[in-house]
Amino acid sequence: MTGLPRRSLILGLSALPFAGVSRAAEGAILLRDLYNKDLSFSALAEANKGQRITVDGFMAPPLRADSNFFVLTRRPMATCPFCSSAADWPTDIVAIYTKRLVKVIAFNIPIAVTGLLELGTYKDPEFGFVSRVRLADASYERK
Amino acid sequence: MTFRIITATLVGTFLATSALAEVAVSQKDSKWYTDAQARIDELAAVTNNTNRAKNVILFVADGNGIGSNYATRLWVGQKKGGLGDDHVLPQEAFPNLALVKTYTTNGQTPDSSPTASAMNTGVKSRNGTVNLDDAGDYEDCNAAAKAGLTTFSEIVTDMGKSVGIVTTARLTHATPAAVYAKSAHRDWEDDTKLPEKCAQKDIAAQMVDAVNAGTLDFIMGGGRQHFLPNGITDDEGGEGRRMDDRNLVEEIKSKGWQYVWNDETAKAADLTKPVLGIFEASHMKYEADRTGEPSLAEMTEMAIKNLSANDKGYYLEVEAGRVDHANHDGNMHRTVTDGEAFAAAIEKAASMVDLNETLIIVTADHSHAINFNGYCGRGTPITGLCYEVDDHGIEHTGKPSVALDGKPYTVAGYLNGAGSILHQEEGANDWTGSRPDLTQEQATDPDYLQQALLPMTSETHSGEDVAVFSTGPWAHLFRGVIEQNVIFHVMLHAVTAE
Repeated sequence: MTGLPRRSLILGLSALPFAGVSRAAEGAILLRDLYNKDLSFSALAEANKGQRITVDGFMAPPLRADSNFFVLTRRPMATCPFCSSAADWPTDIVAIYTKRLVKVIAFNIPIAVTGLLELGTYKDPEFGFVSRVRLADASYERK
Repeated sequence: MTFRIITATLVGTFLATSALAEVAVSQKDSKWYTDAQARIDELAAVTNNTNRAKNVILFVADGNGIGSNYATRLWVGQKKGGLGDDHVLPQEAFPNLALVKTYTTNGQTPDSSPTASAMNTGVKSRNGTVNLDDAGDYEDCNAAAKAGLTTFSEIVTDMGKSVGIVTTARLTHATPAAVYAKSAHRDWEDDTKLPEKCAQKDIAAQMVDAVNAGTLDFIMGGGRQHFLPNGITDDEGGEGRRMDDRNLVEEIKSKGWQYVWNDETAKAADLTKPVLGIFEASHMKYEADRTGEPSLAEMTEMAIKNLSANDKGYYLEVEAGRVDHANHDGNMHRTVTDGEAFAAAIEKAASMVDLNETLIIVTADHSHAINFNGYCGRGTPITGLCYEVDDHGIEHTGKPSVALDGKPYTVAGYLNGAGSILHQEEGANDWTGSRPDLTQEQATDPDYLQQALLPMTSETHSGEDVAVFSTGPWAHLFRGVIEQNVIFHVMLHAVTAE
């Protein structure tokens, strides 16, 4: 784990007067707490913009091997052949840009990702992947 | 049964009844007893409705097997403040019921396309195909021309009736597609997956043909990406996928249809005219996540208002498409919340129509690998941990039941799927694992995946029977255990009865 030590993160977040603080105080933010139901950014997300935060979620199977990119999903991303095509990503995701090459963790194992929170639409020049919420310079670990 | 046995049975029944009359039944004032007596009176008063059906509404909750229906019953009942088990969903109040065998010509376990075909054409067919006889092969571009089946919508259109589709899935997805399309592959939803120079049109293009032919009069669901050309973005920023540069939304609009794309534009629609509503680039949202889109009940209400203008009647297929997807995800919360939305749509429809002339059928196309643990006390949250039975009371003890590993477990679980407790560690050959410890708060979280056994990227369908509930003209034909394609024949009999 790199970035701010977990203890510093906890102290930093616990001072925030927003919903989700109790979870943050326990060490991580749930991915869904970054979005409102209409998929606008939550107050918690806006307050942490540019900050190093830890978000809980699941690693979607990476689009490409040996990259520094993966998608964090709210629930394990079941890839049902009858439900969705590969182009149909969930709308409430976080794009993760890692410090080091991604070492794959199974799609249904909970992970915690720590990185710099970026908000706003961004199209990845290499993957063409459009994201609205990102964690940059990120590292991750199994929960 | 021979006559002699029947006579003996009747004599026996008479003697038993006479004997019963002389015995003071100590439980006769029990509420269980009196409620059941009242139910018997209700059932005895039911008469067969042999009217010709002017209208037929076929409700299909995709993947909503008997287990999922059970879970929804408890969810809704508990949400209303009860213990759950005694709640009655609107479809469960219908007087007629049968069990349905959902296998296909090549699948003990079906997928949604041949099951929808069975209900819309009256014959079983091969997995992965939409409205094709087995004489036409899977993935064969000539199959639709060679072996395309006549659909119920074509039959009733010829009778002068209107046809509508409402779904929370993509409009080009298997269940709605079976109302208007014939395809050798269910995934040929637009032209991107269609083989080059294929003799068959993609499913979205076939919807335009159905509109032009007058076999579709009202359409609401998801799936804009299959109707818009690549390079065009929709009102919500989603991109079209079509490679043939056709904008099918514009083509349908040019036929005098209104196009709506969110809850506000839908609300403003003139329901005396044809409506095309497409509310998402792909599937509509789960009910638990829904915002800016009409509910299934609201879409059903708009459809009935629109279609009822036809004096000759209508056929409406309403699909709760995402009960299936939530099960595939292994996420009970969204299974039951979409099941609840399905029940609300049925209730709305039943309140709007005259059951003397409208046949309502409620079913599922197939079941799932979901099952339920015991022994849970009454009132145990259906999406959460199993609480022990109170041996001396009614409601559960509040103490979680535990397995031999000393850990609590949820009421519902899946045989396979993303919630598997087995994982393959790096460098290991075997998949191993143990069940995580679990609190009630974690288990009832809306995003929790119930524990599953086999590790799979998506939980599977199962081949077990589903139920069909029905009311209205000829609904009494639903009885016993039937083949799924019989559903079509009940609809056909009802609309043609003399």
